[in-house]
Amino acid sequence: MNFELNQDQQMLKDAARGFLSKECPSTFVRKMAEDEKGCTPEFWNKMAELGWLGLLIPERYGGFDGRFLDLAVLLSEMGYACMPGPFFSTAVVGGITLLEAGSEDQKKAILPAVAQGKQMLTLAWVEKDGTYLPKGVTLRAELKGDRYILSGTKLFVPDAHTADTLICVGRTGESQENEEWGLSLFLVDRKCPGIKLHQLNTIGGDKQFEISFEKVNIPQENLLGEVNKGWSTLKGVLQKAAVAKCAEADGGAKRVIEFVVPHTKERVQFGKPIGTFQAVQHHCANILTLLETSKFLTYQAAWRISQGLDYEKEASMCKAWVSDAYSRLVALAHQVMGGVAFMEEHDLHLYFNRAKATELAFGDSRYHRELVAQKLGL
Amino acid sequence: MEFDFTKEEERLIAEIRSFMKQEVTPEVQAETLKSVGICGGPEGRKFIKKFGAKGWLAANYPPAYGGLGASEMIAYLIRDEMAYAGAPHNLVGAYMAGPTILRIGSEEMKKQFLPPIARGEVEFALGYTEPQAGSDIVALNLRAEQKGDFFILNGQKTFNTHCHVAEYHWLGVRTDFDVPKHKGMSLLIVDLQSPGITIRPMITMGNWRVNEVFYDDVKVPIKNLVAEKNRGFYYLMEALDFERMIPPGYFRRFYEKLIDYIKETTIDGRPLSKESWVRQKVANLANELEIAKLLYFNLAYMLDKKKIPNYQSAMEKLFVSELSQHIANTGMEILGLYGQLKKDSKWAPLDGLIEHLYRWTVVETIYAGTSEIMRNIIAQRGLGLPRG
Repeated sequence: MNFELNQDQQMLKDAARGFLSKECPSTFVRKMAEDEKGCTPEFWNKMAELGWLGLLIPERYGGFDGRFLDLAVLLSEMGYACMPGPFFSTAVVGGITLLEAGSEDQKKAILPAVAQGKQMLTLAWVEKDGTYLPKGVTLRAELKGDRYILSGTKLFVPDAHTADTLICVGRTGESQENEEWGLSLFLVDRKCPGIKLHQLNTIGGDKQFEISFEKVNIPQENLLGEVNKGWSTLKGVLQKAAVAKCAEADGGAKRVIEFVVPHTKERVQFGKPIGTFQAVQHHCANILTLLETSKFLTYQAAWRISQGLDYEKEASMCKAWVSDAYSRLVALAHQVMGGVAFMEEHDLHLYFNRAKATELAFGDSRYHRELVAQKLGL
Repeated sequence: MEFDFTKEEERLIAEIRSFMKQEVTPEVQAETLKSVGICGGPEGRKFIKKFGAKGWLAANYPPAYGGLGASEMIAYLIRDEMAYAGAPHNLVGAYMAGPTILRIGSEEMKKQFLPPIARGEVEFALGYTEPQAGSDIVALNLRAEQKGDFFILNGQKTFNTHCHVAEYHWLGVRTDFDVPKHKGMSLLIVDLQSPGITIRPMITMGNWRVNEVFYDDVKVPIKNLVAEKNRGFYYLMEALDFERMIPPGYFRRFYEKLIDYIKETTIDGRPLSKESWVRQKVANLANELEIAKLLYFNLAYMLDKKKIPNYQSAMEKLFVSELSQHIANTGMEILGLYGQLKKDSKWAPLDGLIEHLYRWTVVETIYAGTSEIMRNIIAQRGLGLPRG
């Protein structure tokens, strides 16, 4: 067993920390929450130049050939900076979905552009029921001749307005015996007629959308993977995206502790720094425990994915735990920091709000605990 | 990063598990369960000697002192397997006194005690706590006056767990009354057969025995002083970091029995394992056990890298002790009315295991350092918060 990063990973981490502390201070985070796009072309291009957008993409498609654990290290730094923008939708979710389900032609057509920063992606999955389960997908995808016609509504789609390509989960079939059968994935040009976007206003300040598809007409070749068997791809995407979210939470938690600890030493009440009071010490101990326990599960899951080992149980254990833990630790941080961090001006609320979004994305604690129960054979 | 064991480690686990299957009889498990995982009786002793003969008891000691010179990772693995098998695993000699003697004891002391510890021939009892000295261990007062080649001991210990099954007392004593309290403590090894020692049982609500021990003019040879006189506080603090780590395997056993129970027990024709609330709670226990495993082996990893796990051992102890209570509480919730039934009662599920677990896990967040002290340590040593 070895719980430390190797030299390359440490270098990536340090480089990311350096870049983001310069290019993504909290002023940028706040500005992007107000900004319509949520990111700037300059920032995006800089990430492309650093190779981050192609981190998981194999070299033959113009990527960096990195592994999931490397991505986790990078995401942790992004979480530390509370970085906004469509990196996750494009490089993580979109990239992984394409790598898993794409044909050689589809990968060749899209992945190099993603790595260069010229194409953005997002996955449109969840619908009105607010679940990632297969039965939640009702958007119809009907084959008419050599075209698919898509009709339905998607919700909570991140960064739909900046995505060039929407990866849309549609229903092409139904089976009483097998709930998981009948879903298909489609590459949809966002500018297709019949697509209407409506922005949702969210706690995380991220750009989530309702998308209505009204008889959106796409070529048959835009089917991604095998028809009706889309769930086999989505299952893996969900788990990997979930672990990736936990990696963001890892960095965010570290930043939160960096707010809290100096405060306990500087804030004086009753003639003493409040860090001398046991109640405050215990809150801080709980914060550190939540952070460390989360860290171990996250990197274990990320490592297993990297190594090509079975990872589903560990991934769900991780998301089930971290979803709760991250939100709880930021709440504890608020409790310790009192009035000062309740102010909008202080950055802690950025992490508090982001923690809730992180908790909910790609399955919350309850969703993943049920998956764990299934993996335990119950 | 690496989250799996090596091939050699896997091989060792397999070897130990097959040994355990043969040697850890129901009698050994019953003795272990009746106590707090200590080597509580003749069957346990027999087992420990067999185990020690394999070199596994003190695997990380140098071969010169009876060990295998193995890594801490191996030693931690072995201990967790012992706990998982329901064998005695709460051993003061092998895991607390022994490592301290190894680190700071004289050559003579090492040669005298380490080989018998490694062979499972002798056990030690921790002798820190006194009526007025629990979390505030520097308040301990058992007096050790130096008179020629002996210390003369007078005073009292309480809640000393292993005294009734141990050969030696690993005793925290006061050797200097004229200095600040933490500068006047020493560690002594005392033969529990010495004249003047009276051991009286104290029965806990978990039904196991601990002891109060009275010292009346007990003579202890000077050579039984561990390292330097009056430095005992520092040795004790370091020894506590070793005591603290709890092998989560013991609780994994109980969790697995609970899993079997929910799979086999039906209500209204449906197994309990299909109830959503049961699945949620049990999945959370599984998550916590997974965390506990990683926190535990991280300590071994740090020790092998010669790093000192100060707040990490407190965190591990805190987490696993609370996990043990979660298992007991979840078990009780699942069992409903049946949870009340004690072992040997008609209808008692799992042989009254959960009922017993529920009562004895009360102490898990109290002994070897209360959760409050653990949180203080995590905050102070882990985050640098000021001491009060």
